[in-house]
Amino acid sequence: MNTGAGQSGANPTAMIEVTNLAKRYGETQALGGVSFSVGRGELFALLGPNGAGKTTLLSILCTILRPDSGSAAIAGIDVLRHPLRARRNIGVVFQEPSLDDRLSVEENLRFHALAYGVPLAVREQRITQLLDVVELSDVRERLVRTLSSGMKRRLEIARALVHNSRVLFLDEPTVGLDAQSRERIWFYLRRLQELRGLTIVVTTHYIEEVERCDRVCVVDHGKVLAMGSPDELKHTIGREYLRVRPKNSEAKAEILAHYGERAASSTEDILISDVSEDDVEDFLDRFGRRIRSLDVERPSLESVFLTLTGKAPRDQAASPRERTLSFAKQGGEHTR
Amino acid sequence: MTDTALAKPEIDIWAEDNDDSWRRLLWIQVAGLYAVWLREIKRALRDRGQLLGGFSRPLLWVLIMGIGLNPYFRGEVYGEVKYVVPFTYLQFIFPAVIVLNILYTSVQSAISVIWDRQFGFLREVLVSPLARETILVGKILGGATVAMFHGCFVLVLARFVDVTITPQAILSALGLMFVLSFGLTSLGVIIASRIKSFEGFGVFSNLVILPLYFTSSSIFPLDPSLTAAQSVVNYPEWLVAIVRINPITYCVDALRGVLINFNQFDPTTNYLVLGGMTLVFFVIAIWEFRRG
Repeated sequence: MNTGAGQSGANPTAMIEVTNLAKRYGETQALGGVSFSVGRGELFALLGPNGAGKTTLLSILCTILRPDSGSAAIAGIDVLRHPLRARRNIGVVFQEPSLDDRLSVEENLRFHALAYGVPLAVREQRITQLLDVVELSDVRERLVRTLSSGMKRRLEIARALVHNSRVLFLDEPTVGLDAQSRERIWFYLRRLQELRGLTIVVTTHYIEEVERCDRVCVVDHGKVLAMGSPDELKHTIGREYLRVRPKNSEAKAEILAHYGERAASSTEDILISDVSEDDVEDFLDRFGRRIRSLDVERPSLESVFLTLTGKAPRDQAASPRERTLSFAKQGGEHTR
Repeated sequence: MTDTALAKPEIDIWAEDNDDSWRRLLWIQVAGLYAVWLREIKRALRDRGQLLGGFSRPLLWVLIMGIGLNPYFRGEVYGEVKYVVPFTYLQFIFPAVIVLNILYTSVQSAISVIWDRQFGFLREVLVSPLARETILVGKILGGATVAMFHGCFVLVLARFVDVTITPQAILSALGLMFVLSFGLTSLGVIIASRIKSFEGFGVFSNLVILPLYFTSSSIFPLDPSLTAAQSVVNYPEWLVAIVRINPITYCVDALRGVLINFNQFDPTTNYLVLGGMTLVFFVIAIWEFRRG
């Protein structure tokens, strides 16, 4: 179902062209020939479980990683052959914060402006406008370390736009934020996309967030599994499924064993895909007394995801960063 | 909410910059170099711990070590007291304390490299249109500038240790201090790229700094009686050999030549070793940084 393959090169309005990208780390195939294109002004989502290859793909597009084969172009500039030029067109918000928290909000933005060669004449005006958009004007002179994580993320988005980037890459922009901050981030992204005609590429494993995007590309094991608008995906792939909550882990194990491939567990629930009326009755006969609840659900992106990848999107594992942070909090070695 | 502010076609401030010529890219490298340098300076000024260390270290060395050992820095020949060298111990260790302060600050400045790597700021600069070399040179220049300032803290003490410096000597000293700072900051970057965590760095940097300092003829002259024939007799050969191998020896000696007009080695050798060391460290640093 690789709907992305084969349509490369033909799209004149494409902002991003990715052709047959492959990358391997030792034994692991991180990317196995990924191709797609993203049009100007599109809000494009890369959806996949952790380790699916999303971050590898993004790193290649951001020119910090070289693929083993394939090519990628942003705004017509080959990112492999002219990385410095390509970087002038892209803004990146990494999964982990990349602000200098000893500098103030505006100092961070000024640093960025200098590093991207933004003319001094327009620098302050741009900073003022962008801080306004992400509602950080009041904290302009505060040190970044005093900001909340939601504010930091907003600042990073503003920073990625100071140099008037054409493409904005965001790697899991809402991980670790509370629901309200996540909502704000998506609000800003939508607004920036509409106002500035920005092309946005977002990676995420939060399915509910993908619903807001123009186009979704589902990746796993370094391959494109499906691509299309959220609605298209739901219609073509998502089928009705059964969501049950077993009473105990024994029941859970039995149900999983009985349905094999068709069942996927997400936290407490089991999702059984591709069910008909008879299937429901059959299920009740077998396990009716050993479940707490049962729902027949209409297709959602979650079911699409489960159908395609056979697993629920997982949560983030802890990074080495946290260990370092805890050391730094003890104040060791003038670390800050 | 200022939807209007963004929606207004203010072409002047959001004008697209399509100039991709090498000239423009070069200009960005220069601006970026300045940005990276400025950031290092700002961070150093806000690091009270480092500043405090930069002030207290020379005070400790000059006041306690220097004044404390001052009376012993003379040779007693058959009961007749005579100064071995034509200056006091305070004057003797003064240039070495400058080197010590530079050593500490330079090597510690590499912490900012580890910090940037662990906390993501490095990625922010790696996706900017700056070449890796630009980033590295900016960082080393920034670290070297800070280290040089820490060296200047010591220079301020010159009056209290009876070292009179001419303006010309100050200029030469600053020049030497800068080259030394640049080289040692490069060394810090090399260490930083080999070490993955902060935990290791403290131990490692002390393992590098203190031995380099103590074996650089900083706190004792290589030759107690200042004649080459006796040096090997008076100090064990292995110690003399280490002191001679240590490149910092020649840096201390060069600075002594400028500040108190005393040399144990040929000044030209000193400058060659200082320049060579800086160049080698810088080249390795670039190689390591490109690889990382």
